Amino acid sequence: MFQNFRLAMTWLHTWFGLALGFVLMVVFFFGALSVFDREIDRWAIPQSRFAPQPMPSFDKVLRPVFESMQPTKESIERMKDKVDGPMPERFDTVRRWGAYTTHRDPVLGLFAGYVVPNAKDPEDGVWGNRTIDPRTGAALPDDRLKVGSRFFYPLHYSLNFHWKNLGTWIVGFAALMMLVALASGVVMHRKIFREFFTFRPRKTTQRSALDLHNMTGVVALPFHFFFAFTGLVIFAGIYFPVSHTQLEPLHELHEKIEAQETGLPHDRAGVAAPLASVDAMVAEAQRRWAAQGMAGEVGFLALQHVGDANGYVSIYRAGTDRIALVGNGIHFKASTGELLREDPPKSAVDGVNEFLTGLHLQHFRHWLLRWFYVLGGLAGCVCIATGFLFFVEKRKKQHARAGSQGARVVDALAVTTVTGMLIAALGILIANRLLPEALPAGWPPRGDLEQYAFWGAWVLAMAHAFWRSAPVAQGRMAPAWREQCWAIATMAVAAVLLNWVTTGDHLLKTLGAGYWPVAGVDLFILTGAALAVVAARKLGRRARVVPAVRIAEAAHA
Amino acid sequence: MRDALLLAAAVLAATAGMGWLALAMDVHWEQVRGADPLAPSTARLLRALGALGLAASLALCLAVDHASMASLVWVMALAAAALAVAFTLTWRPRWLGPLVAWRGLARSVK
Repeated sequence: MFQNFRLAMTWLHTWFGLALGFVLMVVFFFGALSVFDREIDRWAIPQSRFAPQPMPSFDKVLRPVFESMQPTKESIERMKDKVDGPMPERFDTVRRWGAYTTHRDPVLGLFAGYVVPNAKDPEDGVWGNRTIDPRTGAALPDDRLKVGSRFFYPLHYSLNFHWKNLGTWIVGFAALMMLVALASGVVMHRKIFREFFTFRPRKTTQRSALDLHNMTGVVALPFHFFFAFTGLVIFAGIYFPVSHTQLEPLHELHEKIEAQETGLPHDRAGVAAPLASVDAMVAEAQRRWAAQGMAGEVGFLALQHVGDANGYVSIYRAGTDRIALVGNGIHFKASTGELLREDPPKSAVDGVNEFLTGLHLQHFRHWLLRWFYVLGGLAGCVCIATGFLFFVEKRKKQHARAGSQGARVVDALAVTTVTGMLIAALGILIANRLLPEALPAGWPPRGDLEQYAFWGAWVLAMAHAFWRSAPVAQGRMAPAWREQCWAIATMAVAAVLLNWVTTGDHLLKTLGAGYWPVAGVDLFILTGAALAVVAARKLGRRARVVPAVRIAEAAHA
Repeated sequence: MRDALLLAAAVLAATAGMGWLALAMDVHWEQVRGADPLAPSTARLLRALGALGLAASLALCLAVDHASMASLVWVMALAAAALAVAFTLTWRPRWLGPLVAWRGLARSVK
């Protein structure tokens, strides 16, 4: 079919790159934003703009909150078909309480899992969650969308398309194909070392696009490779659900054996028991970490089989100075506070797995590395965007002569995914600041409206991209690129101004106070605005020069 | 503060290392030094300096963080340094002149 291996690789790289580039663009860009998801949450929820807090006292703060929690309506709704008989009004048998925090979280997220009586599968359950101010235990309004950690972050790995996990599958396939694209790209690239540092913006658009495509791809190759690969490792459980399909009995057996080995009960005893002081257990865990030379804060606190004689408390250290997420788990008997188990050092395989997942999920404390990750993600975006440009530039003259619309359609889709995506992201931030604090009765929840603004802005950008791309079919550049750059610049400035007007937090104030989460987001948006202006002006100049050249050419002919 | 300075030094070392590696290539040498020809012995020296710069960067990263984290910081620092050098060569090639300061001022730059 192909004359040689290199041509086969070129075909693979071109067409899979084009088809999945649209998905990968979203994955890369929102992945880069997710590095600062907690900070974007602060920007979007002004009530949460205070300093990060350590895990609060369980006995004084968390316990009353947990005891007042109930499963969410959606969770109960999902469970309805999975029980024999009616659902109970209240859920009082708690399977698990958990609280997770990092060194970047001012607010604390809590979750609770409940046993459902008469469930067809006794392992099934319903879930509740709540976000609190850990200084007081007061609940934050639950219709506020955590734009960073609950919208941009899941968009990064699932496209927020949850039906049958399809979004996660699409992203996984795209990641797999990205590994293929990286390998085939290296095969195609004739001058990988000779042109390592080469970018020639004054040559043709096609040449400079290819320069930038090669450079951002090659220079950040380790980053691209590791993130695609570790992303697949994280979701391996979804892509290869063997333990819950083919190997279900084995999985169950494994859990029981593990429970025997660790001494941590797998099931409830069915005998009620009181809860000893969890604060004392936390103090003991911290004493033990310190004794091992690893003094640290609590990252994850979980209570299993609450109120039962088999209940136990697990305390994990926050992994701020390691790549691995949380670790050094210490487990206590809930009713007495007696030490049940201290997790042994990780085996080599677990260590590698935790390194790979931790590398990607990055909950550690290292601001330079976080910014390097943003850089890597944005380099990936540039690589994909210039890949689109190269595709279009290479073909548009030929398509124009043949009267084909192919290049135009690809160009319009590229505008939609590159500049249109930025317009959508700014759309949700602007909606977040523009919507009133309390919505009139009968309106959808505030967080839902913010998401509609995101998708609405994106659809408008797409319509504009298709409308304003006609010149591509004649072999010229689409004005849509330039116009959307201006839209980005305007919206970015508007978002920062709206943040100032609605919260009073302008840059001088946040910078003066050293409140980096909000100052950083504002500065990042303004940098984006400046780059958009530069890009729009350059495109404008090019659009004016090209017709002049054309007239000159015509005069010579 | 000490950590921040060491990391800054690590990024600088990586950038200098990448700069030397770029200068060891004819095209980029010419961008920076103009007509001054690149002798093979100079190219070898530049490559050695480049490797040394990258190694120094790794050592500095290891001095700050646990090895697992330091290796990631280093790999990403290399990527950032390569981008910085490439864009400097595109728009301000003369800025890399100080990396070969011992050769004196370029005699002519086109």
